[in-house]
Amino acid sequence: MAKMIINGHEIEAKAGATVLEEARKLNIDIPTLCYHKDLSSFGACRLCTVEVKIKGKWQLAASCQTEAAAGMEVRTDTDNVRESRKLAASLLYFRYPQTAVVRDMAAKLGVDVQAAADSRDCILCGLCTRTCHEIVGVDALKFKDRGLARDVEEPKIEFTPSTCIGCGSCAFVCPTGFVRMEAGDGKRIIWDKVFKMASCSACGRYFAPVEQLEFISRTTGVPVSQLMTCVSCR
Amino acid sequence: MNTVAFSSWNGKIVDNRTSGNGAGKTKKPAEGSCPVSLDGRSYDALMGWNGLVVVDPKTDVVALTLAYIEEARKLSCGECSVCMIGIDRVRDILQGLSAGKGSSQDITEIEDIVKGVMANSKCNFGRASALTPVLDSVKYFQDSFLEAGKTATAKKGAEKNFQSAVTAPCMKACPATLDIPGYIELIRNNKFKESLELVRERCILPGVIGRACTHPCESACVRKDMDGSLAIRLLKRAAADQDLQGGSALSVPKEEKKEKIAVIGAGPAGLAAAYHLRLLGYGVTIFEALPKGGGMAAVGIPDYRLPKDILNHEIDLIKRMGVDIRYSSKVDALNAADFQKQGYAAVFTAIGAHVGTKIGCKGEEIASDDVVQGADFLWGLSLGKKTKPVDRVVIIGGGNVALDCARNCLRLGFKSVEIVYRRSRVEMPGSKEEIEEALHEGVKLTYLTAPVGIVRKAGKVAAIECIKMKLGEPDESGRKRPIPVKGSEFSLKTDMVIAATGQKPDLGLLTGKDKGTLTTAWGTIKVDPVSYSTATARIFAGGDCVSGPATLIEALNMGNKAAKSIDSYLQGKTFVDELSFEGIDVDRQRDMGFVPPAKSEEVKFLDVAERLKGFAEVEGGFNADAAMKEAQRCLRCYRLMVWQ
Repeated sequence: MAKMIINGHEIEAKAGATVLEEARKLNIDIPTLCYHKDLSSFGACRLCTVEVKIKGKWQLAASCQTEAAAGMEVRTDTDNVRESRKLAASLLYFRYPQTAVVRDMAAKLGVDVQAAADSRDCILCGLCTRTCHEIVGVDALKFKDRGLARDVEEPKIEFTPSTCIGCGSCAFVCPTGFVRMEAGDGKRIIWDKVFKMASCSACGRYFAPVEQLEFISRTTGVPVSQLMTCVSCR
Repeated sequence: MNTVAFSSWNGKIVDNRTSGNGAGKTKKPAEGSCPVSLDGRSYDALMGWNGLVVVDPKTDVVALTLAYIEEARKLSCGECSVCMIGIDRVRDILQGLSAGKGSSQDITEIEDIVKGVMANSKCNFGRASALTPVLDSVKYFQDSFLEAGKTATAKKGAEKNFQSAVTAPCMKACPATLDIPGYIELIRNNKFKESLELVRERCILPGVIGRACTHPCESACVRKDMDGSLAIRLLKRAAADQDLQGGSALSVPKEEKKEKIAVIGAGPAGLAAAYHLRLLGYGVTIFEALPKGGGMAAVGIPDYRLPKDILNHEIDLIKRMGVDIRYSSKVDALNAADFQKQGYAAVFTAIGAHVGTKIGCKGEEIASDDVVQGADFLWGLSLGKKTKPVDRVVIIGGGNVALDCARNCLRLGFKSVEIVYRRSRVEMPGSKEEIEEALHEGVKLTYLTAPVGIVRKAGKVAAIECIKMKLGEPDESGRKRPIPVKGSEFSLKTDMVIAATGQKPDLGLLTGKDKGTLTTAWGTIKVDPVSYSTATARIFAGGDCVSGPATLIEALNMGNKAAKSIDSYLQGKTFVDELSFEGIDVDRQRDMGFVPPAKSEEVKFLDVAERLKGFAEVEGGFNADAAMKEAQRCLRCYRLMVWQ
């Protein structure tokens, strides 16, 4: 436990908790687009910015990446914080003017948002790559790295079909609808890869991609034959 | 440089222009306040992470700014919301201004974006370099930007000949200028294979260097004084270790060239040169005097720091790309004409520095088994020579060779191992970790003591006479000079003495006039410091035989450079080295902002009792998850510079 101050309230922060988590416990609204409580923090959207007092000087900090510490002083609602969030939101809006989640966020943070057709862009929040690595453990999604002497025009997420098991977690976690999952005819299509669905040995309903069941079998040692029954029939 | 028209370097405004914002405020820049020249070459104007410098007042600052932004865009990773999108937005506005569609409102918007990017970017490229100097150009050259449309400067900008270079505090500190933020970022994104490929472009022995490097990069790491440097060396090792499971191959040459090149010595310099020359398509033959490859990595660095299967694997990969390594093939005479007759278009000499220098004390001249050279001791050990442990050994010297000898002696079963060094611990050239581990394992370190004479009884070493030293004024090496304290002589009982005070190359292979023209006053091979060519045509040299005993990575870098230089020579081109950033303070940046503390990942070390049982590797490495976590701590401090 660490005693700290957020917006004048003295609180007891949990060991290892982030400033974002502690602030939300106080029902302080902190906007985020790349944060998920079950994933490691990524610090990409720059919307959760707060001010932290460091050596007597207020400094901007990404609250999702800043661990709560004893004696820390935090402000979440100053002009500086608001302007900083608004700038980040306006830049996201500049890049993705048709993506609903970005438009809503920008409008909320005071950016002048114009009417536009709907589009579902990848905003590089990294929720899918982290889910694929940390939760699913297959690493089918990775950032394509740009940088020195690497000739990559635009940043994007790379998909490796050979390791994808079609679990659909990325589609579930994607905030913009960029990752699409389509189903039908005993098939599931995700990131343009077609998966054969397994049908339940009891009720016959298609319930999971065969590759996902094979993956579960490999990692748990349970034979695939024992995994061929859906959750409702088990 | 006597004067500049304008400089905002390090945030210090110097404005000698007769018009424009802030004109005539300050005169001439204070010495060292901005880059004076770029590796000796003058420039008209430059933009870098720390500001804008205009020497020639006729410089088109708008075009320079646009060129800078283009280069910055290439470096931005694009993962956070502000940096890359901010760059794109500023570029759009500037292009609008250049097309004559702009107002002072646009200048204000640019300033807001730049300040926001500097304050809120995720990484230190965004905070320090991405747009920082653009703030100065739009502020102090506002008129040029507002009038840019009339002169159609943007179109001209594309035709101007701008040059650019990238560094980082860690990259500048690295002797081989590895793209450290680059390979760390690839690890962070779980791309170990690509990371290793990037490392290999400048370091063909990643597993070796990832273990045995003295890592000056870590001392330069921006996080050093916050919550500790990144474990850069161990991240490189992690990339190499991950590959041991998958087993990648090195790239093959795109085309074969007709020329063959001889390399003398299969140490880090020779192997690096061979790899790069082979990759360029040359036929390469390495002549190695020893029965195995690796040079000092093989016969210097002990197994407990560098398991030899790691080294052998990396040498194997080089062999598999078609480099012919001939072991136990000592070259006795370096004769350019002979090599040419054998069909070699050039020779790269990288014979190392394996001859121990004398300590300069009485009794040393008598040849005996119990007074040995440190280099010979390590060499013998790694080539399988049996060494019978004695009770007491005294090792003279303060470098890594002395420490390696001492730690080996403990493992061989010597009861008392003592290092005698003439200066104090601060001045010891051995690496900090090595000193700490040696003490931890039970090596005794005696400082401010120098040997005077070796005492023998019945032909066997019985003691070493020593004298106490005190430190005086710094000498030419910058370290305090040790001065003997009169009357402080004392005797140290010992059964064996290992002399590890220095090494020099064996230049016995130089023949005829080369003996004189190719040798320096320090007994090393004389080369051109940029091209590594010697006074004799077709003969190049690098590594320890040129620099004297240095680090593996320094030798490796000379091999990298020499390969490019030899290629230029054979293709009839002039070799131009990349910008060194020498004399430019790359550590300084305008504002760091707040960096959330993040603790470094830890690695396990073998228990001392386990260590002393044999030669098992002492330091553990990162597994993939730990490496990815550690990689997340990298602040990505790329510094960009564009000039004309």
